[in-house]
Amino acid sequence: MKSRLKGRGCSSGVVKGEAIVSERPFGFWQGIDPKTGVVIDRRHDLFGESITGKVFVFPYGRGSTGTPGIFIEAVRNHVAPAAIINLNSEPMIIVCALLAEEFYGVKIPVVDGFELDHLKEIRTGDRVEINGESGEIKIL
Amino acid sequence: MDLTEGEKRILEGEEGEPKRISMRILKRIGEIKGADRFIPVASAHLVGCSYQIAGEAGIEIYKKLVEQGARVSVPTTLDPGSIDFERWREFKTPEEYAERQIVISDLLGKMGVIPLWTCTPYYLLNVPLFGQDLAWSESSAVVFVNSVIGARTNRMSAYVDLCASILGKVPRFGLHLPEERRGGILIELDRELSDLFSDVHFPALGYLVGQIAEDEVPVITGIRKARFDQLKAFGAAIASTGSAALYHMVGITPEAPTLDRAFLGREPVKRVRVGISEMRKTMESMCTYDGGEVDVVGIGCPHASIDQVRRYAEVLQGEKIKESVQLWVCTNEMVEKMARRMGYIDTIERAGGKMMVGTCLNNCPLSRWNFRHLVTDSGKFAYYTPTTVGTKCYFTTTKACIEAAIEGRIKGE
Repeated sequence: MKSRLKGRGCSSGVVKGEAIVSERPFGFWQGIDPKTGVVIDRRHDLFGESITGKVFVFPYGRGSTGTPGIFIEAVRNHVAPAAIINLNSEPMIIVCALLAEEFYGVKIPVVDGFELDHLKEIRTGDRVEINGESGEIKIL
Repeated sequence: MDLTEGEKRILEGEEGEPKRISMRILKRIGEIKGADRFIPVASAHLVGCSYQIAGEAGIEIYKKLVEQGARVSVPTTLDPGSIDFERWREFKTPEEYAERQIVISDLLGKMGVIPLWTCTPYYLLNVPLFGQDLAWSESSAVVFVNSVIGARTNRMSAYVDLCASILGKVPRFGLHLPEERRGGILIELDRELSDLFSDVHFPALGYLVGQIAEDEVPVITGIRKARFDQLKAFGAAIASTGSAALYHMVGITPEAPTLDRAFLGREPVKRVRVGISEMRKTMESMCTYDGGEVDVVGIGCPHASIDQVRRYAEVLQGEKIKESVQLWVCTNEMVEKMARRMGYIDTIERAGGKMMVGTCLNNCPLSRWNFRHLVTDSGKFAYYTPTTVGTKCYFTTTKACIEAAIEGRIKGE
């Protein structure tokens, strides 16, 4: 293990996955295609990338309050990210995980409570283990 | 969180599954965000009502809730849907898509919502009061009711808004607390910009402020007067480029009679000056092409008021829109009925414009039109339509938008 970070667990579940990192805020409505999990926001630096099954790291949510609608549709279509790491999670990001568990039985760890410098330790492509309850993140 | 005896019983399922699920989700959010207790809300406004947002998952979730007997417990309005319920064929909406939207409409109807299908419910049928706690979604409406009316709502979101509406309560944190509503970042307009500040600058400034505010409450000085519709356009743009749910405009919005009151006596964490050159750069960045061709002109984002429809009709009086161009005016059913009775819509339709009711260019599937170039006066359309409609976008004044539809071309700067 390369390093370890401790944030605040906002949901539940433990997953391992490949990180995809952006320093820019992200909105899911018109941010991803819920059929494919690919980023469709042309203004975003992750445009064209897939977030399916990845540990998605971005500072905080922005834009439309339609986010959970798109996110849960992505969960239903098995193309949602596996976990989310934020500096500060907006309620609507946390809710995505709570709804996924309540209605589709899928646990998506969400961890927040970091400074930007801490998050810079995680790079796209890193293997990451994340615990949505304890808030523990291991960069493997 | 401290729960009352009644709330504990809800959590144990004594008032049925919809309330139990709703409370479980809202309690968890409250705990994470440091809420001390639940507070009652006066109304709710839902976004998960469009098929584009809710999808098949939404239909499954709503079906389950309806089977379990879910009912809203406070007045609850709906955001735009993904179809014009009367004219979806005219807008080339695929029939199977329209059918799915109608399924959602029926399911939400069974829960007792008010089917207003608009992003501007605060004009009518869902009008908040100053200081009232609410459970609203729709980023542009949340900004409006917090900032312009002084009501209190966090940015709810799809499904959570429904949970709050079923429960009639939200956890008390964030913008429900006076302390959290204080200004953070000061945006000062230069005098020259103040002097010439006009209609088109509201969405443009909002577009810029959204990007610089990050998660601070922006406080704007230097705007001398503003109409209801201009503040609506400003807030919608802020909420598109950023995540701000509240702004203060000194001398204009109710929680900012003075600079000091807007900041609750504290110093701004940051100051940003905005002048004519920043404004010009922002307006350039809102355009993704230099002008010329136009296929569709989209106005009425957020949904047009009667006064805006009147202004559109004035420009269109006796004019004819080029056959190669569509001019679409987005609004809701109530404004449409009244504006039709007043003769404005007759003028717009005679000129060749279309009313798009209960939906908008951002929510309605438009791929069958093959639009390539869109002209708009809306900061929110400017931000989203390159993705939603797949067009290049040109942002300009309302008048120039309508003239572009008449001339069939948009003049670049």
